[in-house]
Amino acid sequence: MSHSVDLIDIEMIFGQVRAVEKFSASVEGGEFFSILGPSGCGKTTVLRLVAGFIQPTAGRVLIGGKDVTGSGPHQRPTSMIFQSLALFPLMPVWENIVFGLEVRGIPKAERRKRAEELLDLIALPGFGDRMIHELSGGQKQRVAIARALAVEPQVLLLDEPLSALDLKLRQHMRAELRALQKRTGVTFIYITHDQSEALAMSDRVAVMSAGKLQQIATPRELYANPATSFVARFVGETNEFPGRVRGVSDGIAAVETRHGLLKGRAGPGLRAGDQAAVYVRPEAVSLETENDNRIEAEAERLEFEGAVAILHAKAQDGQAVLAAIAHRGLGQAPVSGGAIKLSFTPAEALVLANV
Amino acid sequence: MTMALEAPVAARLNTPKGGLATIAELLPRIIFAIYMILFFTYLFLPLAVMTAATFNTSKFPTVTPWLGTTLQWFDALWADQAMWMALRLSVLIGTCVIAIALPIGTAAALFLTSLEGRARTFFYAVMVSPLLTPGVAIGIATLILWRQAGVGGGLWLIILAQSSFIAAYVMLMVIARLQRFDRTLEEAAIGLGASRWMVFRRILLPYLKPSLLAAMLIAFLQSFENYNTTLFVRGTETPLTVFIATKVRTGLTPAVNALGLILIVLTIVAAVALELSKRSRAAKPA
Repeated sequence: MSHSVDLIDIEMIFGQVRAVEKFSASVEGGEFFSILGPSGCGKTTVLRLVAGFIQPTAGRVLIGGKDVTGSGPHQRPTSMIFQSLALFPLMPVWENIVFGLEVRGIPKAERRKRAEELLDLIALPGFGDRMIHELSGGQKQRVAIARALAVEPQVLLLDEPLSALDLKLRQHMRAELRALQKRTGVTFIYITHDQSEALAMSDRVAVMSAGKLQQIATPRELYANPATSFVARFVGETNEFPGRVRGVSDGIAAVETRHGLLKGRAGPGLRAGDQAAVYVRPEAVSLETENDNRIEAEAERLEFEGAVAILHAKAQDGQAVLAAIAHRGLGQAPVSGGAIKLSFTPAEALVLANV
Repeated sequence: MTMALEAPVAARLNTPKGGLATIAELLPRIIFAIYMILFFTYLFLPLAVMTAATFNTSKFPTVTPWLGTTLQWFDALWADQAMWMALRLSVLIGTCVIAIALPIGTAAALFLTSLEGRARTFFYAVMVSPLLTPGVAIGIATLILWRQAGVGGGLWLIILAQSSFIAAYVMLMVIARLQRFDRTLEEAAIGLGASRWMVFRRILLPYLKPSLLAAMLIAFLQSFENYNTTLFVRGTETPLTVFIATKVRTGLTPAVNALGLILIVLTIVAAVALELSKRSRAAKPA
């Protein structure tokens, strides 16, 4: 089993800037763990703290249960893949891949052999003597992975390594990365601002915003039960109806909104009088009228996407409302400009306090 | 003659705007051509005159009056032992200056790029100041400084005095390349377990190689052609520039022109060879 990573009350301050605040997370050995957040949220700082390129202002870093706080990157069983890949342009591919072995003093013949093995692993046999600039984006990507794996790390740290690739290649590499992680059993900590990437690949996802940890959960949990309004907005599409909490009972909160009283499951620590919002996913919004929460709206346009159709509607106060309606449930398609009633059940809506 | 006349006529017919427009279009190009001719004449005429004088029988380096064509000055140059000694000394000095200025300039460049803010500006100014100081002042200052330590003018002072400002050239050239260096490469190497020295040897040095080679060349040429700094610290040594300057007083013959011509030819051959090897290397990976 590969090593776990524990971050305990990590804090990182650069001059006046508090890049990371009270960050705690436990990554299990062999887990594919993602840190998701918009650019500048501090996620790369967390990764560099795990790698040992920087040391936390406060808090501790444990790898495999051992406190490594204060030790440099070469003393940690980690390996990092950079956003820019940082392949060495003046070395052929094979020397790039086994650079980590070269600095450990492993003889050349053995290095070359290991390089060939790794080239097979990344499905680039015979590419050893090419130069980096002769490779395509996807090939460079794979060489960077091989170089990071050559030192047999316990934990692989990936800093948005797919961001430079085009969409199709990115999707392909996602699957490859996931398969590679399963095959090697190495713990992956993956940084991304792309929520679909994080949701598709990860065992668990940590969402960060402005240096603060928002939530750690499985992709499904994250989508179904976002812990904060930030997570609700950032992960997936959502409709947001702001208002004031009138009361909470039996885990259901009633919120006074501009569309009348709307009900939903109460988020953590929600109390009467709080400024909050009701969040509901487009696929939970339907055209049926018997649900508790109803919104009068005007149909604007319908985007047919095969299995579902996305209905763009406008509530009476002008707010845009999205409803994803399953093909089968569509029945009579609403006409553009026609008055419609949108509804959703309290069980499928979530009420979260404004932060 | 007719051909030459026909071409502009054809050009004029092809432009829809007619004759006047064509002249307006051509005028900037004509002015530019004249400018370029004047520019290159200004640049190369002295060299041409110097070259021509090499082959004049006249005892003085001149083209007028032309007293007859000869190769005798090459023989004279060949036989001039003092000149050969001066040349050998200049090459020795140039080589030693490279050995001192290259590491110092490179270290300064690495140090400067690691600094930020005011400290950087300060050290940059300190390092570059020898370039702005008159060479004569550097020569005199070096002489005075080392006289305190009991060291007089001579080979070592020439090398030290020249290195003090040539290191700044090296630094500027290395900095120019260093600023484009991707720092994450360094981090990547360290992350893979490389020591500082390993990063320098395997990543940074190969990256800096082209600018180091160029800096070596510039350092050598700067040393080779230096006169005013060298003059004050030379002691009894006579490098080539000093030798030629002395000749002006004691009687200059076209043998000096022959030397100049040889140096020019060597420079051209070296430059062409370098360019050719660069092109063949650029063609290979494709």
